[in-house]
Amino acid sequence: MEIFDFYRKDRWPHVFCPGCGNGTVMNCFYRAFSELDLPLERTAFVGGIGCSSRIPLYISSDALHTTHGRAIAFATGLRLSKPDLKVVVFTGDGDLGAIGGNHFINGCRRNVDMTVICINNNIYGMTGGQASITTPHDFLSTTTPFGNKEYPFDLAELAVAAGANYVARWTTRHVHELTKSIKTALQKKGFAFVEVISQCPTNFGRRNKMADPTQMLEWFKESSVRRDKVRTAAVDHFDLNMAGQITIGEFVDRNRECYEELIGVEKHG
Amino acid sequence: MRTPRGEYFLQGNEACVEGAMSSGVRFFAGYPITPSTEIAEGLAQRLKGTNGVFLQMEDEIACISAIIGASWGGTKSMTATSGPGFSLMQEAIGYAAMSETPIVIVNVMRGGPSTGQPTRASQGDVMQTKYGSHGDYQVIAFAPASVQEMFDLTIESFNYAEKYRVPAFLLSDAEVGHMRGLLSVPEQLKIVDRKEKGLKRADEAYDVPDDLVHPFPTFGKGHKAMVTGMTHAEDSRIEPEDVKTHQELVKRLSEKILKNRKDINKWELVSPGSKTMIISYGSAALGPKEVAAKDERVGLLRLKSLWPLPEEPIYEVANQCERILVCEMNLGMMYWPIKRVALEAGCKKVELLSKIGGEPPTPSDVRHKLRGMGAI
Amino acid sequence: MKPVIDKRLCKGCNVCVYICPKKCYSRGADISEMGYYAAVASATEKCYNHKREGKLICELCVLSCPDQAISWHPETEEDLKK
Repeated sequence: MEIFDFYRKDRWPHVFCPGCGNGTVMNCFYRAFSELDLPLERTAFVGGIGCSSRIPLYISSDALHTTHGRAIAFATGLRLSKPDLKVVVFTGDGDLGAIGGNHFINGCRRNVDMTVICINNNIYGMTGGQASITTPHDFLSTTTPFGNKEYPFDLAELAVAAGANYVARWTTRHVHELTKSIKTALQKKGFAFVEVISQCPTNFGRRNKMADPTQMLEWFKESSVRRDKVRTAAVDHFDLNMAGQITIGEFVDRNRECYEELIGVEKHG
Repeated sequence: MRTPRGEYFLQGNEACVEGAMSSGVRFFAGYPITPSTEIAEGLAQRLKGTNGVFLQMEDEIACISAIIGASWGGTKSMTATSGPGFSLMQEAIGYAAMSETPIVIVNVMRGGPSTGQPTRASQGDVMQTKYGSHGDYQVIAFAPASVQEMFDLTIESFNYAEKYRVPAFLLSDAEVGHMRGLLSVPEQLKIVDRKEKGLKRADEAYDVPDDLVHPFPTFGKGHKAMVTGMTHAEDSRIEPEDVKTHQELVKRLSEKILKNRKDINKWELVSPGSKTMIISYGSAALGPKEVAAKDERVGLLRLKSLWPLPEEPIYEVANQCERILVCEMNLGMMYWPIKRVALEAGCKKVELLSKIGGEPPTPSDVRHKLRGMGAI
Repeated sequence: MKPVIDKRLCKGCNVCVYICPKKCYSRGADISEMGYYAAVASATEKCYNHKREGKLICELCVLSCPDQAISWHPETEEDLKK
């Protein structure tokens, strides 16, 4: 698919900062979508509030830019009212895991057929760099100027425990694997969740000695540890601090009945 | 799917369910909360076997969000709640107003504030319905006072939500929601559907110009709709920094409803020429209605729509009478805007019978107050 | 095929410089029309896709570029001589 059949040319170029990982995720998504030759006019995009939630507004299809944290709830309504529409959600770590936590875990549990891409930059970037529920321990942000006292969520593990059919985590350093994973997620029936650890050099990296996006990418590479498809208990511990690791890979790929099957929703006209 | 023609003996909430089904509701997302739960339970039953969807969501915010999403998929969608849930929904209500999404919210009001009196009636949310979310916006709200009106005004709520692309509210209360009474369903029902982009307009049930309402770009039809809560221009471009864009948008959203007030206003008059007029709504109007029916010195203007404020009937009544008594089950909410209109019309004596605690004002409460006012 | 940087889109983040396994890119020294030190595709003859048509071997730069500034172009005769 031609690049400006996919993106809205009249809204180009996008507003993301130099070096922002959002653009990288967009590339991987576009590549995955094109290779699958999915019909763009039968796909709707939903975003919450945040930098990554703006991505739906750049894609040349129906886009629902909702309230903070509620993208999955909106998407659930949209999808079940029009089951012949493919629904893709773009969200961020705060939007999904903080204010949206309840909708996230219930979305996984309910297993409505949708693809959720969470671009986790470990910070609230759009509003200037406040701590998020995935900001690593001891890291600096505008609301943790003396070091974050809290520990981060492992969003992928939450999704697994809550029942999502497909869960994977990659980083923006792993573009080929990410593209392949997005392809799997797009074809998966049920709730498919892809978490992408991404760089926010402007509001995260800059305050934590990694102002250059390439420094953040190197940090992702150094901290990443692969896991195989079989879940190993207790060994995988996501603790993204200077000594910690990012576990990447496909966490789960199962076939629980999706919600549409459970309630017998017919495809509407 | 719609309620067959006939006579029924139903609970108010059950009549609301029938009204929703007869309107063509195809998506309901609810959360259990007294005294509205029967509506969710009823629709869980009634939607089965249709191509509609019933969802019990994880919280009220998920409910209101899901029904907005469903509306963009092209379905008539509804939720039902009470005070505490209604408070949770406010952000998304503002979103629905800003994005011009037709949705219906039923609020079966109970004693507040906070957890308050879950099983008792009040009218404490009437201001919140109009002012609950941040910013300037207009909504449409109806106040049923009988089982029949729970049916009729649910249908009106859907019709007006669709017609004006706005959230519409059915402001019931624990008394009207739980009372049992007669429902008469006619053969013909006036049902209005949204003006869809790209489709030729079907015959509308109401004949009012609505050039401030843009056609609705349902998702999945190639419209490439961009729906957002941010300030946007006519072509949906996000323009939060632009002063003029914001002014034009917010003013249009307001004008869209206010200029069509005459189409939306609904009321009932008993003995309109009386020297003393009671103005009331919902179950607070039941006592006054009995008083007005039996005493020719007293009349009643029963508001069936609360928002936008039906200024015209209030003005006319105030113009012709000597004194007004506003009766409501809160500490005085509609009293203030009603008083403002009455004073403009030249009626200087506007008093309030405020009854909270869960019981609607009885006829003897009303007579006692009227005696105190020197009206009877 | 060779990679070409669109200077109207490049914001000089240098992710391409970092990610390319063959060091085809280098940091720019000149300010572009957009006001950034746009990166330069300085050694495209080192690219895995040099003198390749059809399926490309490595696309790390194209996929990584946050501004969609890199795209594949057919090589000129001069390019092919390198």
